[in-house]
Amino acid sequence: MSPTTLGLLYGAATLAALFSGLPIAFALGSVATAFMLMFMPVASLGTIAQNVYEELASITLLTIPLFILKGSAIGKSRAGRDLYDALHTWLHRVPGGLGVAVILACGMFAAMAGSSPATCSAIGSSGIPEMRRRGYSPGFAAGLVAAGGTLGILLPPSIVLILYAVAAEQSLGRLFLAGLGPGLLLMGLFSGYAMLHWRGEHAAATRLAAAGGERSEILRVDSYTMRDRMQAAPRVLPFIVLLIGVMGALYGGFATPSETAGLGAVLALVLIAVVYGAWRLTDLKPIFAGTLNESGMLLMIIGMSLLYSYVMSYLHISQSAASWIVGLQLSRWLLLAAILLFVVMLGFFLPPVSIILMTAPIILPPLRTAGFDLVWFGIVMAVVLEMGLIHPPVGLNIFVINRIAPDIGLGAIIRGTIPFVVLMAIGVVILSVFPGIAMWLPDLVYGR
Amino acid sequence: MQTDQPNPRSIVVRAQRALDGVNLAMAVLSALAIGLAGCVLTWEVIGRYFLSIASDWQDELSVFLLVGATFGSASWIQAQRGHVSIDAVAVLLSPRVEGWRRVFADVISFAFCAFFALKSWDLLMEAWVDGQTTASSWGPPLWIPYGCMTLGMAMLSLQLLLQILAGSPPRAIHLQDGPSLPNNERLLP
Repeated sequence: MSPTTLGLLYGAATLAALFSGLPIAFALGSVATAFMLMFMPVASLGTIAQNVYEELASITLLTIPLFILKGSAIGKSRAGRDLYDALHTWLHRVPGGLGVAVILACGMFAAMAGSSPATCSAIGSSGIPEMRRRGYSPGFAAGLVAAGGTLGILLPPSIVLILYAVAAEQSLGRLFLAGLGPGLLLMGLFSGYAMLHWRGEHAAATRLAAAGGERSEILRVDSYTMRDRMQAAPRVLPFIVLLIGVMGALYGGFATPSETAGLGAVLALVLIAVVYGAWRLTDLKPIFAGTLNESGMLLMIIGMSLLYSYVMSYLHISQSAASWIVGLQLSRWLLLAAILLFVVMLGFFLPPVSIILMTAPIILPPLRTAGFDLVWFGIVMAVVLEMGLIHPPVGLNIFVINRIAPDIGLGAIIRGTIPFVVLMAIGVVILSVFPGIAMWLPDLVYGR
Repeated sequence: MQTDQPNPRSIVVRAQRALDGVNLAMAVLSALAIGLAGCVLTWEVIGRYFLSIASDWQDELSVFLLVGATFGSASWIQAQRGHVSIDAVAVLLSPRVEGWRRVFADVISFAFCAFFALKSWDLLMEAWVDGQTTASSWGPPLWIPYGCMTLGMAMLSLQLLLQILAGSPPRAIHLQDGPSLPNNERLLP
């Protein structure tokens, strides 16, 4: 049987297994094992456990539970609320400052926690009620938090970038640094939109009040003294020290990425114990239970995705698919657009971790042949995967917001997120035209 | 004459209770392993920069601890239906067909996990008999991680089997719900 036919069969079997409701990890493992049984030497079946262990026993991959532990510790503390409150006191003079504070708080929290749903949940649980209380429309408030939460997979220590580093065999340090510029770009685009939209809602509320209608809370002017601002700062200072300290240890050459993960987790636990007094068993139990749930589920998917990719490679499916794409002789940018569209479509039903591990062997060789920098592509791919977190049908952040604020309704949340999907698409175009936004920092630190 | 036949369903319930206890113990050990891995890696930095102690065992020990935690907690996660799946088709099916679909998914998952557990056992036996170690200068025995993998996958298979025999309740977690969330107490034990 030709690799093309095998590839089509493999794809069809995978879709059937995934949509039959098998857990993603077992679906990928079952399909890989079935194809080993049918199309590979019998002896290969004896190696499946060894294959999974050898792929999984990578210290880079195993930083994931530790980064999740760090995120879980920060996420279960009041850090999110404190961060957002402090930023609000400093930004209240900016038009739409509350929305801008939410975006900045999301970015900073994401950089500490490394998880989009955790960011959404931590900032949204205080940010959404406050924005609604201050007259922001529910959809706009929900969209801001959902979009801000997506920064978690772009800013270091992003789990998605860790996986991409393993799948694409690229430097994790370079990838983490390359994510900073685009992360700031997206924060800028989101904040700009927040200010513009606020102006629109403010103008509408002003007209309504002038016509004798109800006076919206959005028209209220906040005032915070310098004393208020200074009082808010110390509450977030320890976490900023954690953020800068851990990244400083990594890029200052004091610690490897795996050590950074361990150090970050331990420091986060120490900080929440000191700052919030969360050191008792009842405080630690949900932190570790959440970590186990998330990391066990993710690593099982990762292990089986790697087995799936091994089978694809052994049967020459990935090589022939990559050759086929190269043979199409598409122009450089058309190739990139086609691949990104493919990733967006996969994002309709698969989580980012599976998309990266399953598609990397197919899409990366043609991109390398076309002369794209794979670190740069990793960042662009992360932005595209971020879009998948806030567009239906399985946009994870949409459902997180729905759980935090069920009265807003899925329809309003989705309408609120659509402008941010467009902004991310604009972000991808900007990154394509100016790749230096992503690459200047890693090139500066590591050289070209 | 009437004989006391054991109720198969109650056997499943009792077996599940017993497994719940083992699952919880393994989850606690896995949580400790993750915490310990964090401490080991922190010690690596402190030892190198502040105490000038050069050592090479930390990364391997961390890998062993984290592999152990991943497989050790797999059954506990499955007991909560925590391994995410795509349930987009479920809403389109009638309750009867949906029920069969769930049983089908569990049976395939069980078959795969049991096969994987068997292959892990072969690997474990090979490592034990041949005295295999890792290639590093520290050289810890490989039966330790292979043993964790075998035990974890065997428990996961048993958990799936009990869920098939008990009749699956509706899934607790869907892809749309995502992984555990900071304030999501529903997922916690």
